[in-house]
Amino acid sequence: MSTDVILTTDIHEQMGVPQPRQRGKAGGFLRHTNVLTGSALGIILSVVTYAIGSKLVPWGTQNEDYSQVGLNALVGATYVAWVIGFMIGIGAFAGPVRWMMGHDITHDDSEYLAGKGQGKWKYWKYTTDHKVVGLQYLVMALVLLGFGGFFAMLIRTELGVTWSEVFDPNFYNSIVGTHGIVMIIAMIIVIAGPLGNFIMPLMIGARDMAFPRLNALSFWLLFAAVPPLLSNLLLGGIRDGWTVYQPLGTQAPIGMIGYQICIITFAFSTGIAGVNLITTIVTMRARGMTWNRVPIFVIGILAAAIMGLVWFPMFQYSQVLAFSDKVVGSSFFIPQEGGSVWLYENLFWLLGHPEVYVILVPAMAGLLELMVVFLRKPLFSYKVAVAGIAGIVGLSSVVWVHHMYLTGWAPSAGYPFMLSTELISIPFGFLVLVMLGTMWRGKVWSRLPMMTVYAVLWCNIIGGITGVYLSDVPVDQYMHGSMFVVAHFHFMLMGVGLFGAIGTITYWFPKMTGKMLNERIGSIGFWVAFFGFQVTFGSMFIAGLQGQPRRVLQFDNAFEISNWISTIGAYTIGVGMLIFLYAIITSWRIGTIAPANPWGSKTLEWQTETPVPLDNFPVLPVVTSDPYGYGVPDPYDAIERKMTDENVKVGA
Amino acid sequence: MSTTTTSSQTIVRSATTGEPVTTTARRNRLGIWLCIVSDATGTVALLISYVYLWSLNVNSAWAPPKDRFAPDLPFWLIVAGVVLAAAAMWWGVHGMGKGDRWQLILASALSSIIVLVTFVGQIVQLSTFPFAITEGAYASATFWLAIGTAIHLSVVLFLTVAIMNRTRVGLFTQNNHSHVRLVAMWMTWVCVAVLLGAVVTTTMKVSPNTNSPTFGTFSD
Repeated sequence: MSTDVILTTDIHEQMGVPQPRQRGKAGGFLRHTNVLTGSALGIILSVVTYAIGSKLVPWGTQNEDYSQVGLNALVGATYVAWVIGFMIGIGAFAGPVRWMMGHDITHDDSEYLAGKGQGKWKYWKYTTDHKVVGLQYLVMALVLLGFGGFFAMLIRTELGVTWSEVFDPNFYNSIVGTHGIVMIIAMIIVIAGPLGNFIMPLMIGARDMAFPRLNALSFWLLFAAVPPLLSNLLLGGIRDGWTVYQPLGTQAPIGMIGYQICIITFAFSTGIAGVNLITTIVTMRARGMTWNRVPIFVIGILAAAIMGLVWFPMFQYSQVLAFSDKVVGSSFFIPQEGGSVWLYENLFWLLGHPEVYVILVPAMAGLLELMVVFLRKPLFSYKVAVAGIAGIVGLSSVVWVHHMYLTGWAPSAGYPFMLSTELISIPFGFLVLVMLGTMWRGKVWSRLPMMTVYAVLWCNIIGGITGVYLSDVPVDQYMHGSMFVVAHFHFMLMGVGLFGAIGTITYWFPKMTGKMLNERIGSIGFWVAFFGFQVTFGSMFIAGLQGQPRRVLQFDNAFEISNWISTIGAYTIGVGMLIFLYAIITSWRIGTIAPANPWGSKTLEWQTETPVPLDNFPVLPVVTSDPYGYGVPDPYDAIERKMTDENVKVGA
Repeated sequence: MSTTTTSSQTIVRSATTGEPVTTTARRNRLGIWLCIVSDATGTVALLISYVYLWSLNVNSAWAPPKDRFAPDLPFWLIVAGVVLAAAAMWWGVHGMGKGDRWQLILASALSSIIVLVTFVGQIVQLSTFPFAITEGAYASATFWLAIGTAIHLSVVLFLTVAIMNRTRVGLFTQNNHSHVRLVAMWMTWVCVAVLLGAVVTTTMKVSPNTNSPTFGTFSD
């Protein structure tokens, strides 16, 4: 991929373009808004709503289904007030109001909004620059993973020894549910958020995302969604697992409303992000970047965005209707009033399963992207990889019923969905085969990102094969609801998703932060976590095969050893992750300055300088070849030598 | 938006990015299509909920007490209002395409008034349904389809007022009025969504399932 000077008049004429009248200082109202004003207004509005609402709504009365409609309405209104207040306070509505008033923004306004001249303060504001948004997503993902991981430690502490009660059973159930949904959200955003926003526009040679203000909106909506979710633990908790099947959700304590508001808000965030990512990839690629020259990671992000855009509203509406049942007493999911619990399960799993691929596809595509760099070989069959991703996108929408084999809903649908679920292993297998084919007879440059490829391949095999078993109706009748299922989906979501995220973030860390990751400490953390992961979930497979049910606080003595081993493994993961986090934080703060292209990669994001300038490229690149034109014999010595010449101590 | 003149043609450029507005218009058009796809999935979720509960008639509790279904006429009046508003906006787009700014001002003003009246009508319908949202699955599903329409209408009202205002201050020209076309596209989708809602709520009232399943109450 070359970066010739282009014959464009587009961007660099912008200063010569006549501007709308500048009203006040650049940035206008948004000069005065930040996360503090947002939080303050959100808290004030929610307190006021609660105070007024508690005077108006008679609460404490209980419905036939044990739900307290008055209190629920009050808490629901308070959460909604938080989200609206926060978004007003951060300045999210300033742009639309300004547009309606006919006050178009100027180039200076635009640059101010992108964070120009604001230093580190820009990370706390409604900043539109895709690189800022990408780093905001990265930190948010790490924070959520921290919370989710902490809850996982609590769960394993409780399950370490049988017949003990470290926690109250209701609290235990709450941390199980909260761990699940926090981790799901974290895994959805951990690649598509930071790398989809920071790296993807650079990879396609764009100046920014298609809709920069929507980009900021998607992040801050996510930010606003998190406090209601975490606050559930103070309000009775989510005791029904991350799926929150109905009518348990309606009968649950008021903490459930925090979950519902979080999902509704997060779905808006995801939908907006999906619109932005797809539009950027389709319309803003550099000249010459035809579809067969688009890096495979970009294709992976595109696939995830499409699946999220199409299916997330189903999940959102499952929660809108559940919120309605809980808060105003409607009856979508309450059988005695004509509702159906199957309706909830269908709406939920229509996203619930594609969401797995929203997590996995960017991880796999990211690893394919980086492994060609560390093998110095072209990708083995780019078209097969694209076909695999396309097949996953298509089939992901017709597999959801495998989560419902035992619910009693349409038993005759079990076998067609068994077939479709088994079929989806074929396009997913394409991605694994492309990985193996690319490795074939390759000479590996053994760096940490490449190590994660091996780890993910291993987890893919274990998680994939056990998944094929579970997709079979007869096997699922035995395994369903057991620890075997828990081990399976952790092998996929954590083994592939999270370790894949570690690989991709490690690979692009120099471009995003301007620093080299301390690979020695990072590798220790990664391998410790990987070892702990195998111990934890390998042992959990055994417990599941022995018949231990999931979501149960106490268990039979027969499962004691395997649970004890799992708990030891979980603590090991925790230690490994803390070491890895230490490597990230210290490298980001005081690490070695990274050169523009430390890996000798050919894709566009590495061709611009580091730190990346505000408008990304001095001139927009023109692409004249595919991104994987490697093939120089034995290039590693040259790269290592070049890096030594530049006094870069990689891995120091 | 501003204009620069080259030797052969006038290129209107974005003030913020410097790109030709035809480029940003193409981008925005795709964005609107994707918003429509996402909104359509949500609308389909509501329609599925209605039809699913109607077809199951769980515990024979689909219908509201005493079979007090909502009258049909208000649904169709709301459809008529939305269609009229969208037609007016397309008429304005057509006029602006010929360079007639006043036609767009008139069309967007007319569209805003119609949408406002329709929105008020929707609120009136919501407040005068012959049942409460708590009175069975039909009541819940119908309320939420109507609430969905009200939300759509409030967004459309914001957009039509904005178009009227922006046209009034001269921000749209014959060569640069893509925003108006995008708003008209969105309004057309809203027509489809409201129409689908009206079709199900007026044609699917009494459940065809007379042998309804009994699932218990899940309360014991």
